[in-house]
Amino acid sequence: MIENNFNRRDFLKVLGWGGAAVTLSGCGFTSVQDGTETVVSYVEPTEYALPGIGVYFNSTCAQCDAGCSITGRVREGRALKLEGNAASSINRGKMCGLGQAGVQAHYNPDRLREPMFKGQPVAWDKALGLIDEKVKTLKGDDVAFLTGGMSGHVKVLFKNYMDALGSKNHYVYEAVSPSVVRAANKKAYGVEAPRLRLDKAKAVVSFGADFLGAWVSPVHFSQQYAQFRKGNRPEGRGVLVQIEPKMTLTGANADRWIPLRPGTDGVLALGIIHALAKNGLSVPADVAAAVKDYAPERVSQETGVSVEQIGKLAALLKTHTPSLVLAGDAAEGYQHGSQNAAAIALLNRVLGNVGKTIEAPANVPFPQIAAQGGNRAALQALNGKLASGKVQMLFVHGANPVYTAPLSLKFKENLNKATFKVVFAHYMDETALQADLVLPLDSALEDWATAVPEYLPEGAQLNVQQPLMEKLHAGTRGTGDILLALLKQRRANEYGKFDDFYAYLRNAVVSIKGALGGGGKDEDTFWAETLSEGLVKLPGSGGNLSSKASAAGLHFPAVVEDAAYPLRLIPSVTANMRDGRNANQPWLQESPDPLTTIVWDSWVEIHPKTAAKLGIVEGDIVEVASKSGSIKAQAYLFPGIHPDAVSVPLGYGHEAMGRYAKGVGANAFAMLDAVSDQETGELAMNETRVKIGKTGQRIIVIKEEGVAGGKQAGKKIAARLASDKVDLSKEV
Amino acid sequence: MQSFFRSIILLAGLFFYASSHAADALPPLTTADNLGPKVEQPIEFPHNRHAGLRDPADAGDPSVPAKGGMEINCMYCHTGARRSAVAAIPPLQKCIGCHQTINSVRETPRIQKLFEYWEAKKAIPWKKVHDLPDFVRFNHERHIQRFIFAQGKPVQEACGYCHGDVRAMTVARRSKPLSMGWCATCHQKDHPVDAVSGKTSHGPNDCWQCHK
Repeated sequence: MIENNFNRRDFLKVLGWGGAAVTLSGCGFTSVQDGTETVVSYVEPTEYALPGIGVYFNSTCAQCDAGCSITGRVREGRALKLEGNAASSINRGKMCGLGQAGVQAHYNPDRLREPMFKGQPVAWDKALGLIDEKVKTLKGDDVAFLTGGMSGHVKVLFKNYMDALGSKNHYVYEAVSPSVVRAANKKAYGVEAPRLRLDKAKAVVSFGADFLGAWVSPVHFSQQYAQFRKGNRPEGRGVLVQIEPKMTLTGANADRWIPLRPGTDGVLALGIIHALAKNGLSVPADVAAAVKDYAPERVSQETGVSVEQIGKLAALLKTHTPSLVLAGDAAEGYQHGSQNAAAIALLNRVLGNVGKTIEAPANVPFPQIAAQGGNRAALQALNGKLASGKVQMLFVHGANPVYTAPLSLKFKENLNKATFKVVFAHYMDETALQADLVLPLDSALEDWATAVPEYLPEGAQLNVQQPLMEKLHAGTRGTGDILLALLKQRRANEYGKFDDFYAYLRNAVVSIKGALGGGGKDEDTFWAETLSEGLVKLPGSGGNLSSKASAAGLHFPAVVEDAAYPLRLIPSVTANMRDGRNANQPWLQESPDPLTTIVWDSWVEIHPKTAAKLGIVEGDIVEVASKSGSIKAQAYLFPGIHPDAVSVPLGYGHEAMGRYAKGVGANAFAMLDAVSDQETGELAMNETRVKIGKTGQRIIVIKEEGVAGGKQAGKKIAARLASDKVDLSKEV
Repeated sequence: MQSFFRSIILLAGLFFYASSHAADALPPLTTADNLGPKVEQPIEFPHNRHAGLRDPADAGDPSVPAKGGMEINCMYCHTGARRSAVAAIPPLQKCIGCHQTINSVRETPRIQKLFEYWEAKKAIPWKKVHDLPDFVRFNHERHIQRFIFAQGKPVQEACGYCHGDVRAMTVARRSKPLSMGWCATCHQKDHPVDAVSGKTSHGPNDCWQCHK
């Protein structure tokens, strides 16, 4: 608050007179400015270019890995607005806020504009020459690649370049990915990403899968959800129950939101099976034997979910078949995350959902372009190899590990043991700052690529990413073009015939046109149609699904409390920020978080009861400390969180990257304990224990909402009901 | 007392800020006869020769330079007017399309300059003559479709409602105020909807039609 004796009356006086002064001097015809601005016409226009009229090009969104198809409006050579492409079975013409912000990735003022070698600008020929010189001196095993999840022809070129170098060290890393669930799916269903049919389910029970916000393919799931909620579909209006320690956007939309003690998802799943068996559902003998110890009383004690709630859940699932039970981020982020996911898969098997609401995904006919999803275990593996000094040269693409790695991994120090680090980057981010050589990339609206999404809701499809406009900066290059230039250094006879990546891509796609369903067309027609559509649907067989979720080996360790660090940190993946790669897009910073409505900052969600115990009120700057690090952020009192947990959003607190990201909020990745899931070795995101303390500072939280529940002046504008009082049988 | 002084200083500051800003931004104001400022263009384009009325003395022999105009339809060059918000300055290609075969004026200074731009494949940096502020969205298409295609008004008359008698100009110069009040005087009148039905209607008066 500004200290001032300038009172309201004076302020209004000045405002009034000042306004009058501006009005008197600023109006009239003064705004018509003739002869000052230049209007540049085309020299030779393309036939479809008419000033003032938009032209639309189809492409693929690169803001996350869901692979939505987009249609971009281009006017006078500038990309203006992105919308969904209706031809795609993923987003069917729809698009999310994250995707809308894609234009800000393109026009971003902080984009890198020229290659940098040890902090100094360098020409492209020199930059590529440096790589050539370095790799010549190294054995293949000395070179490692860290990339984000990838697919399509860029993946093929990466693979071929690695082959050319003789390197097998490819680490595919995503800081936020459903990697434990992926592995559990593989075990239970034989596939990593089965098709989920919310639209066919009568009830959905989601263990922390935020499918409306930031989980896997939210735009697709949002449309399925709309179908699921329609009262006039044959199955009737579906019932959604969300079980998670911290309320997500999906939780806020659920009929019933059940907070459970962090990490006890598997116990609850087995408890529900126990209750189902008791209610007369026929359960295989081995499963019945495995869950016999999970009586409601015990489960209730461990999970904090009341016996009554467990009974209601079982009754709901028994009457609503087919149903669908999902395992999400909140269930997988533990040492026993795989066990949680396996127990949830077992629940699906018992309920007979496999094959009904969980279906086999389509096979991608060309495995070399199929999606390779990233995981967190890759980073730990690379980190170990870097620490042992076995990596001389490292290429990084589509990842920012210096920002997303927990400090406890000491990744930054280990990274610097590599003698030559090449980073492909859009911004000078935390990882690019550590690089010897930084290669600036074209934006997604300037570059050529193809992509096959990992989650395929219908048949397989090959998405085409094509430039919507000319490059903004002459000094950037496309990923494909850089890789092609590097491959020409090693395999000139094979790649020398391609002038650029476009020529390579066109040749690669056109040469398999028969398999892509364009057998009867000539090459030019097929290629023109592909670019016009923005995607090719791949004809292919459906895959197979097995139902082999088993109860064998399920074991849940008792929750061990730590008196020094009494609370559990749930790092939340928000729809805007996700893992923070888009943090330099100001629209995402300024659009309010859907649950708290906070903008431009991190926050710490605390249950009001816990806060009362600690004497914390909203706006207190609190320090959240784990064994591995600490952050300071504003406290936000939120009843949608388990009293034993606190939650901090990921993606904030960059130390570099750009003007909109740097210094905004605090980085929750940094303070995570390096605890892994025991089966898959994935970093367990929710295993960090923290303590929380006041720093003595207090601020006004910048947010859009009023007090929780709203001031309704006694009028019950929006009635509230405790979740215990909700009768789900009336929902049907 | 202190706060009173502070108000006065603030007030004076605001006034000077506002008036200096206004004075800064001002090109020579519209003159009494509503003419805009003379605008210097990279090439002094003679609208009168292209759109002006034919001189009866001209025989139509392309090897002899004409004395009068060519009576070229405005929309032959400004192709956006009937189908886009902006009328559009013709692409250089269009100028060359005709002028490469008009040998009688090929060596005149203006045409030489035109070909210099063409050979360098450089766009001509024309200055905007009718430049509305960015908060006004004027749509050519609506007006041209109504007046020319629905009502059947002669092209040069319809364009002239806002652009004046371009036939008589060399470099175009603004000859109407193009202020909001001036737009409104026309929008308040009833106009025939088309040439035959006898129905009338006036232009929209909603703020958001232009300010959006």
